[in-house]
This record gives sequence, C-alpha cells and structure tokens, in this order.
Amino acid sequence: MIRLIGVELARYTSRRVLLLLVVLTAVLAGLVAFQSAWETRPPSAAEIATARANADIEATRAGVEADIEQCIKDSPLGTEAGFAEQQCRDMFAPADTSYLPRNELDLSGTIQGNGTGVALLVVGLLMIAASIFAGSDWASSAIRNQLLFEPRRTRLWVAKASAVSLASGAVALVALGGFWLALYLVAADRGLPHGSAVVGDVGWHLLRAVVLAVGATAGAFALTMFFRNAVATLALLFTYSIGGEILVYLLPVDGIARWSLGNNVFGWLEQHFEYVDPTARCVLGSCGGAEHLNHLETGLYLLALLLVAVAASWAAFRRRDV
Amino acid sequence: MSGDLVVQTHGLRKVYRDRGRKVVAVDDLALTVERGGVHGFLGPNGSGKTTTIKMLLGLVRPDSGSVVVLGQQFPAGIPTALAGVGALLERGSFAPDLSGRRNLELLARAASLPPSRVDEVLETVDLREIARRRYRGYSLGVRRRLGVAAALLKKPELVILDEPSNGLDPAGIRDMRDTIPRLSAEGVSVLLSSHILAEVQQVCSSVSIIGDGRLLAAGQVGELLGESTARTRVGVTEPDRATAVLLAAGYEVVREGPDLLVEGHEHPEEISRRLAEQGLYVHELSAIRPTLETFFLKLTGHRPARPEDPDQWAADQTAEHVVPTGLTDLTDLMPPTNGDPS
Repeated sequence: MIRLIGVELARYTSRRVLLLLVVLTAVLAGLVAFQSAWETRPPSAAEIATARANADIEATRAGVEADIEQCIKDSPLGTEAGFAEQQCRDMFAPADTSYLPRNELDLSGTIQGNGTGVALLVVGLLMIAASIFAGSDWASSAIRNQLLFEPRRTRLWVAKASAVSLASGAVALVALGGFWLALYLVAADRGLPHGSAVVGDVGWHLLRAVVLAVGATAGAFALTMFFRNAVATLALLFTYSIGGEILVYLLPVDGIARWSLGNNVFGWLEQHFEYVDPTARCVLGSCGGAEHLNHLETGLYLLALLLVAVAASWAAFRRRDV
Repeated sequence: MSGDLVVQTHGLRKVYRDRGRKVVAVDDLALTVERGGVHGFLGPNGSGKTTTIKMLLGLVRPDSGSVVVLGQQFPAGIPTALAGVGALLERGSFAPDLSGRRNLELLARAASLPPSRVDEVLETVDLREIARRRYRGYSLGVRRRLGVAAALLKKPELVILDEPSNGLDPAGIRDMRDTIPRLSAEGVSVLLSSHILAEVQQVCSSVSIIGDGRLLAAGQVGELLGESTARTRVGVTEPDRATAVLLAAGYEVVREGPDLLVEGHEHPEEISRRLAEQGLYVHELSAIRPTLETFFLKLTGHRPARPEDPDQWAADQTAEHVVPTGLTDLTDLMPPTNGDPS
C-alpha cells in the first residue's frame, strides 16, 4: 500500500496544473500575510501627531467636559476620590489611539478575520486540485490502465485518496504555517502580544485548518470519483456555495442553520463561533438569540458528510464498470 | 476447464441501459482461447468485442456467466490473473500531460516491476526517444506503440489487443502486424480483437466470430475464413461465351457489367486455363476477398444492421477503419451503439 500511495503521490506531483495550483495556494497565502502585516503597520510619527491633535480637539468640545463632570457627580465615590475622575476621563475623554488610521496587529483577532479567510482560500484551491487529480484519470481513461496494473479497486481508491489527502495536508500546512509564522514574526518584531496563549490559539486554529484541508480534499476526491468528472464536482460545490445556503434557509425546518455547511465550516475554523438562526421560532416571546457551535459539534457534522461521500464513492468505484 | 486454455467464458452476458432502453451487448457468450498462437476475435463494430474484452480484464462486471483467465475464476481471481495479462485497449488510457516514459514508470511501480523493464519495452517498440515527450503530442501510431509497450511491461503470458490497427497509417498497420506474430513466436498467447477480416486471416491461427453479442463460429482460420469463400472478377472480350464455358465447367457465374464474377473455386488460375482452351483470353483476373459483411451474411443469413447515425458511420469508415491499399477492406456496418458495447 505504501508503494501504491507513493505512485499516486508521484502522479499528483507530476501534473503541471496541480503544481501550478499548489504554487498559487502558497503565493496567495503569502499575499494575504503581507496584506495583514501592511494593514496593521505601526503608525508613523506624523500619523500619531495627527491622532493626538484630533483627540485634543475632541476633548475640548464642551459636551465632553460636561459628560465627565456629570459622571464624577454620579459616581458613588464622590468628588473626593481622584480615582473616580480618572475613571470618568477614561470613559468619556477621547483617546489618541481612537484617531489612529489603523489597528495594530492582533494575532488572536486575525484568526476570526484573515486567518479564516486564508484557510478557506487554501482549502478551496486544494479541493480544485483534488478534483482535477481524480477527474483527469477518468477523462483520459488512464484509470483503465491503472486498474490493469492494480486490479484491487479498494487498494487503488485508498491509495489515491491517501495521496491526495497527504499532499493537500502538506501544502496546507506549509502555506498556512507560513502565513502564521510570518505574522508571528511581525508581531514579535513590533513588540505586540505573541506569548504562549496567543501561540496556542493560533496553533489550534492551524491544526483545525489543516485537518479541514485534508478532509475537504478527500471529500472532493470522493465526489469526483463518484461522478467520474471534475467539472461535475466543481459545479456542484460552486452551485452550493452561491445558492445552497439560501436553499437551506428556505427549507421548512426549525433550527436549520445548525445544519448549514457554511456555519459548520466557520464553526470549525474559528475559535468561538456564534450564529443567528432566522428560522428559529420564539417560544413565549423568549428568543435564544445567537447560538454557539463548538468544535466537537462542527467536527462531527463535517466528518459525517465526509463519510457519506467516501462510502458512496468507494462503493461506486468497486462495483461500477470502468 | 482444460489446462491449455488461457481464456474460457461460459454463458457470459452483459446488458447496458441506454436512455431507459436495455441493450444486450454480450449474450450467452462461450469463448475459448487456447494457449499459444494468435486467436482472432472477429466481429463487426458494435458486436460486443470490446465489452467482452473489458469483462476479461475485470473492468466490466458481467450480469451473468463465468470468466476464467489463466486458470483464475473471476472475480476472485482477477488480481492473480491480471498479473500475467497485458492489454492494449482501444482508447489511449494514458495520462496526457505526462510523458510516455513517465506513464510507463508509474504503471511499472504500481505493479512492483523493476524500472529497467520500462527501458526494455520502450526499446522493443522503438520509442526510446519519443517517450520523453508528453503523451498529448503523440500521433495515433505512437500512442498505439506505447500501448503495446504497456501491454508487454508485465512480461505477460497472454496479451489482449483490442482493434490495434484502428486509425493507423499503412506503415503503422504493417508494424503492428509484424509485432503480433513476434509475440506469438516468443511464447505469448495473443487474443486479437478486430473487425478487419484480412487482419485476422493474416496473423491469426484460430478465430472466434461474434455478432450481436453472440458467438457465431469458432475454429481454425483456414477452416472458417479460407479461400473457398473467395470470388474472382474476370474481364474477358466475349463475356457471354465465357459465361457458358464456365457454367459448363461447374462454376457459379454472375455478370457484373462487362465483367464476370466467378464463385465456387479455389484456384483462380483454373479459370484462365479453361477459358484459354476455348480461345477466350482474359484481360483481367482479380481476386475479390470476402468482406466481413458477406461472411456475416453467410453465417447469419442477414447483414449487420446499418447505423442509425449515417454521419457516425461515415466517420467510422474514414477515420477509424481505413484499410490500406492491397489489404481487404471490410464493410463493418454496426456503429458503437451506446454504453460502449463495441
């Protein structure tokens, strides 16, 4: 089996279009990392001076001083304590940082933003590569020759699936690992928080993203082996991505948002994901508001989808004529 | 099963579905191929040859019936049997964006064959240089040769060739027809699927003839496809008198314009001699070999069905089934219908 996986990995890496997709994945991840670093670059002296001037102007506005005085009066500590005045000034007086043109780099915050975005980008491109990998064997009928040299269909299916998953996992790890390493180095260089807590959050997110890449590419491979056509798989995924979620919400099922693929993917990638379910009915005027999806729930959901695709694909490949 | 059979099928049946309609591609087929020699598998397009071959290779599951290849009962014995079988399928079956060599290397690695074997087979089919280029850019002839190389990779006991001459130019056909006897001489059993009667007559020792998915006849080529089925066109200055002479000599004679078509003989020179004895001298004497259509007609009493799509039929005649001058052209009349039961 190891030999066969090696053959399929060689087949994967021998295809120029797949290599181009892999390079594109890495380049795009690098570009997003650069964009994240650039958009959070430290303010220049001129920008700081401008922000301070703007804050000072705002502070002199009559209403602000009145708000502060009222706050101090209302404080249970009274006017005697300077502590109350400081609290009120912090609350109402404009801060210099509020007038800076950019936020500083926040690694934990990036997980929710560009981190999840780049993970989805990488996973999407690798799914296309996986589909092309499987689809080209069918389009060229090369699968027939392969079956003449390895007639045990289960072994061939598993070898191909393993190769595409391993390759995708490795590419995702390198591309996303590179993305986060670059941002970590930038944060360290700027003296921003990059301690073990932040690294832990980023590490778990990276692990989940790589696992998603492995699973999603295995799913795309399985679907393509089932349809015997890369275009069919990509069309299905594309159609779902633009119209499927809307259709899901149109289904007459309460709490259907829990089963939305998009919500589950975001729930898996993000640290803490909440969604609002427009289909959930309010009982006695009490609405739940935002619902939380944890990683176990989303992981099981995505795993179940993958298993269904894999089972259908494997069974079809074993039984159907080639 | 007899020990000297490399292929034996019994009651083989395969039905495809085409737009809700059942199409019987192979029906109750009993095919036997003895070890050694070249066995022809002859039939018009759409008669079920390719489907049968795919069943012999484990690519298609029969609906019923049994398949035994190299002593291994299918489906359980497919992996063991295929270790000793090489096949050239009608379609390319290679990755187009890889070089021919890379294609073979990956196939060899999958079957645990030494890399040196790739060089050996490329040498055999004289493709060492071209094999470095991408498969996508190969001519049809080079593709076929690469297919033969792949078929030989495993040093097979049995080689199955599905329409190996289809689409080849005359030189390619000649190469292919030189290669097949050479394989046989090296002890490899060859099953050659073809719709070209002359090809089977030229290179096969035994033959099975299939029509509408059923076995019509099987036996030695000389017995089944011998010269007795031949006709001769005779050009002579006095055709009426010549007709009378030949009829009196026991020949079957039919007028065709100014010429005569003579049947029922084994030695055309006898016609010339008999006419000369009566002072009639021929200016043309040419053998008309039987076509698969006429042979099919003799076996079944009806011609193979014409295709529903005349354009497809015309394309088949020009692109895929060109037979070079000097060889017998066969009027294969059944197009690949559907579900690839050809």
